[in-house]
Amino acid sequence: MPKVRIDNETYEFEGRPKLLQFCLDIGVELPHFCYHPSMSVPANCRQCLVRVGTPARDRGTGEMQVDEAGNPVIQYFPKLQTSCSLEITDGMVVETHRSSEEVAGAQKDNLEFLLINHPLDCPICDQAGHCPLQIQAYKYGPEGSRFEFDKVHKPKHIRLGPRVVLDGERCINCTRCTRYTSEVSGSHQLTIIERGVRNYPMTPPGTEFDEPYSMNVIDICPVGALTSADFRFKARIWEMSKTPSITVANAKGSNCYYWVKDNLVMKVTPRQNMDVNEYWLADEDRLDYERFNKDRPAGPMINGSAAGWDAAYGEAARLLSSVDPSEVLFIGSPFATVEDNYLLTKLADSLGSPAPQYIRHVEIGKGDDWLITDEKAPNHQGCERLGMSEIDAEIAAARIQTGEIKLVYVLEEDPVVAGVLSASDMDAVKVILHPYNVTNETLHGANVVLPAATIVETVGTFVNIDGHAQRVRPAKAIRGVNRTLVMEMGESRADRHGTPFDRWHNETNLVDCQPGWVSLPEVAERLDIEMAYKGPRQVMEEVAGTVDAFQGATYEAMGLEGVRLMEIGAAV
Amino acid sequence: MEAKTAKTKAGEWRKYERVLLPPIKDLHRIDVYEANGGYKALKDAIKGEKWTPTAVTDEVKASGLRGRGGASFGCGLKWSFMPKPDGGPRYLCCNGDESEPGTFKDRQLMEYNPHLVFEGIMIACYAMSISTCYLYVRGEYADWIDQMETELAKAYAKGYVGKNILGSDFSCELIIHKGAGAYICGEETSLMESLEGKRAYPRIKPPFPAQYGVFGRPTTINNVETLACVPLILERGASWYAGLGAAKHPGPVLYGISGHVNRPGVYEYPTGMLITDLIEEVARGVRGGKKVKAVVPGGSSTPPLRADMIDGVTMDVESLREAGSMMGTAGMLVMDEDTDMVSWLRRVTHFYHHESCGQCTPCREGTGWLEDIVSRIERGEGRVRDLDLLADLCSQMEGRTVCALADAAAWPVRYTIDRFRDEFVARCRPSHVAVPALPESELEEAET
Ligand SMILES: Cc1cc2nc3c(=O)[nH]c(=O)nc-3n(C[C@H](O)[C@H](O)[C@H](O)COP(=O)(O)O)c2cc1C
Ligand code: SF4
Ligand code: SF4
Ligand code: FES
Repeated sequence: MPKVRIDNETYEFEGRPKLLQFCLDIGVELPHFCYHPSMSVPANCRQCLVRVGTPARDRGTGEMQVDEAGNPVIQYFPKLQTSCSLEITDGMVVETHRSSEEVAGAQKDNLEFLLINHPLDCPICDQAGHCPLQIQAYKYGPEGSRFEFDKVHKPKHIRLGPRVVLDGERCINCTRCTRYTSEVSGSHQLTIIERGVRNYPMTPPGTEFDEPYSMNVIDICPVGALTSADFRFKARIWEMSKTPSITVANAKGSNCYYWVKDNLVMKVTPRQNMDVNEYWLADEDRLDYERFNKDRPAGPMINGSAAGWDAAYGEAARLLSSVDPSEVLFIGSPFATVEDNYLLTKLADSLGSPAPQYIRHVEIGKGDDWLITDEKAPNHQGCERLGMSEIDAEIAAARIQTGEIKLVYVLEEDPVVAGVLSASDMDAVKVILHPYNVTNETLHGANVVLPAATIVETVGTFVNIDGHAQRVRPAKAIRGVNRTLVMEMGESRADRHGTPFDRWHNETNLVDCQPGWVSLPEVAERLDIEMAYKGPRQVMEEVAGTVDAFQGATYEAMGLEGVRLMEIGAAV
Repeated sequence: MEAKTAKTKAGEWRKYERVLLPPIKDLHRIDVYEANGGYKALKDAIKGEKWTPTAVTDEVKASGLRGRGGASFGCGLKWSFMPKPDGGPRYLCCNGDESEPGTFKDRQLMEYNPHLVFEGIMIACYAMSISTCYLYVRGEYADWIDQMETELAKAYAKGYVGKNILGSDFSCELIIHKGAGAYICGEETSLMESLEGKRAYPRIKPPFPAQYGVFGRPTTINNVETLACVPLILERGASWYAGLGAAKHPGPVLYGISGHVNRPGVYEYPTGMLITDLIEEVARGVRGGKKVKAVVPGGSSTPPLRADMIDGVTMDVESLREAGSMMGTAGMLVMDEDTDMVSWLRRVTHFYHHESCGQCTPCREGTGWLEDIVSRIERGEGRVRDLDLLADLCSQMEGRTVCALADAAAWPVRYTIDRFRDEFVARCRPSHVAVPALPESELEEAET
């Protein structure tokens, strides 16, 4: 296999890798700004310089020249090379800043240049703390500056579009954002204007940067030049805890981080998963977090009055046993986890009721061929795979009106809005509801309300539109003690137990709710139905072991990137 | 005078007969051009048995023609980098962006002898099996662009350009493209981006234009004057061309002489002219009988030579390299003894600062910083240590950028300071200010 020597260590390589990516892959850090693995390589930041040599060959014979000791003679390029654009060849010798003073010096020189016109307003910059320029300037840059002139002034806080704000002075002109719109999203909405040191990205005259994926440029911008109109100045990066999970605004299951401070989700950023969303998120995914913070129920209720959990579970069990099992309509939820839906199925089955059905949320034409789907709920695939069928609202409504159905048991879902229940039916039919938000219109007439933990407060599995099963993890705490959740939160948060600035253990903003895998067994138990699981992990083990359509979907297998399940047709 | 006794490679240059810009009235008109033997080389090339495309390239190689756009690269060699035709499009770009300060010779060709340029283009396209050429002209040359459009239409009508040229099966389109006022568009890869309708940011190389050029297809870029030499080479033979001027850098050259001379202008002579001959005889000496202080031989980016460095130096790659400069575009700027070199350098740094495309860090940031410092020195506010800083910054820019504009910006700074250091030091305040001694009385007080 061909070999390359980097800082006196030999590595084998395959294919035709570029040097910078190869170094990053093997764990050799090289400072860089403009390079992004998903876009063309303009080599414009000039930060990734290295010294490179190749074995000298005899002009005539083409044979490798060797010195007296039999080692190949290395001919160095007269100029330092940008590693991002350089293809590795067999026998190449590379010196990075770790072994060459010249390279270290060149990297330092470049950072000096990058900083002379940079405003250095890190104390008020959203990017500070996770800013490639800041980090690399500290690591590889010079101490102080020799620049003694006025910095160049450029336009600041320009609204490029509804969701992205530009600070032209912070821009280091890496062209990642413009390349993104021309090569990745294809909207071509950004271009660099002006020239020389007055360069900055801008929209063509009379247009806005409003594509549905505009906010990705905020993450790929290596400085704080592009900020989120939504998030600007809300929190510093070190004040938030970060949890890997997935987004739920559609059925793509894009991988993300939830950034939480004091039990409020502050922002959502993409997490790389080459099988699902690569490096990107749709704007709708990023802005879909207020429902985790706002309009949350205050706790369980019985007939419109606050109640304790125990009483509420008891009342739910009482109502369930007060009607004939055939008269119960169980409604599962494409917003809830596979685990919760499975337990609901199990509850219905144990009672002898018909299998739960689910409400489909499709907005035809809203989707695209990228990360936005027509499907607006995250887990209809999970419901289908559990054998649930889509509810026919008209038939269900008729059966309720004729009194054929006497009790409706609903996981997070709004049958009133879906047209299954009408407000007037609610007197005749009993309703047990596990809602996320008080905006749920079914809530007012519900007999028992058992507030449910949202995706950012629970542990569980979702199956995206392509059959990719993925785990969610608690990003924020709920009221009450739940060992599973606390353990999960501590283990899965990228920063372990969260930053000291995130007061997740304080009472503030804790919602009094429960994951379905807590509340459903509580109800079942009161009906003498066996539903004793150690937690969602065990539930999913059972699902993976017993339901063909979930084969292999254990927590271990799903890990951080999920597993691709068999096609439904093939499995069932 | 000393200049007359010194050895010149230009031979009997005083008897030289102009070939690029011959003294023929209305030569820009196609009928006049034809009446004076115009388009004969093209006819021979396309119709004659002798000139296969390879034979044309070989002839150009044998002539020793080097590019006139600045880098003096062997023209025939460059042509031979084009891959074998694969049926897809291939392009020639004729570079008439001419924006380097001190350079104004392509304009003469486009104004007075455009058909020679068109003919050269057609022969080059024939040699490289190219069927489209873009002639990229700086937009400020609006009048000559209009005139060339008119003349080009006539060339099309007469079958020298376009479909089935002169009844052969060789077809080639020629499109004149107007630039929009950016020096960087003259850089070959930037020119291609600009042609594609994109922002004119130079590309990284490799891939080189011959592999991946305009619209991703094989492309050759040549300067206007370079291509104008081609019909002459075919007509008079490679050996005629090779025998003219300096052996390693032969041929006729348009010297664009400007600055403090009595007769600035564009002069056609062989390469290898003594700089002193060009100043004293061709340009009729320095204005007001003053002495020369500095000569910038080939456009503002080439290092200036002090008066005491130009004796015996001839205008060709070899001699200028030895002297410590470059041939560049042969746009020679002469500065007399009263010239303020600090001020001159400030103006040059301003140009490169203004023209940096801004794509890459060292050039975008460095060019402005250079101007800041030199301006401060010019105002009398600089310090001697600024001169070291300038040298440092040049080292931080040279060879570390996408295109050569950063080098072009750094060289004049490095070499002007190097060669005229006293003048700069005299303008600077000292870096170290001596602490004045305390008066006696205070000293005594301090001791008690
Ligand atoms: C910043 C910059 C500006 C340039 N401007 C011009 C120009 O205006 N005209 C030109 O012919 N070549 C220019 N060049 C040189 C071209 O890149 C290229 O080398 C030349 O056109 C090739 O033609 P030649 O081989 O016939 O000389 C420039 C180069 C640089 C780096
Ligand atoms: S705004 Fe950010 S991403 Fe865009 S060019 Fe500037 S530094 Fe790069
Ligand atoms: S060297 Fe200067 S002009 Fe050339 S690409 Fe870089 S910034 Fe642009
Ligand atoms: S990463 Fe910017 S030049 Fe290589």
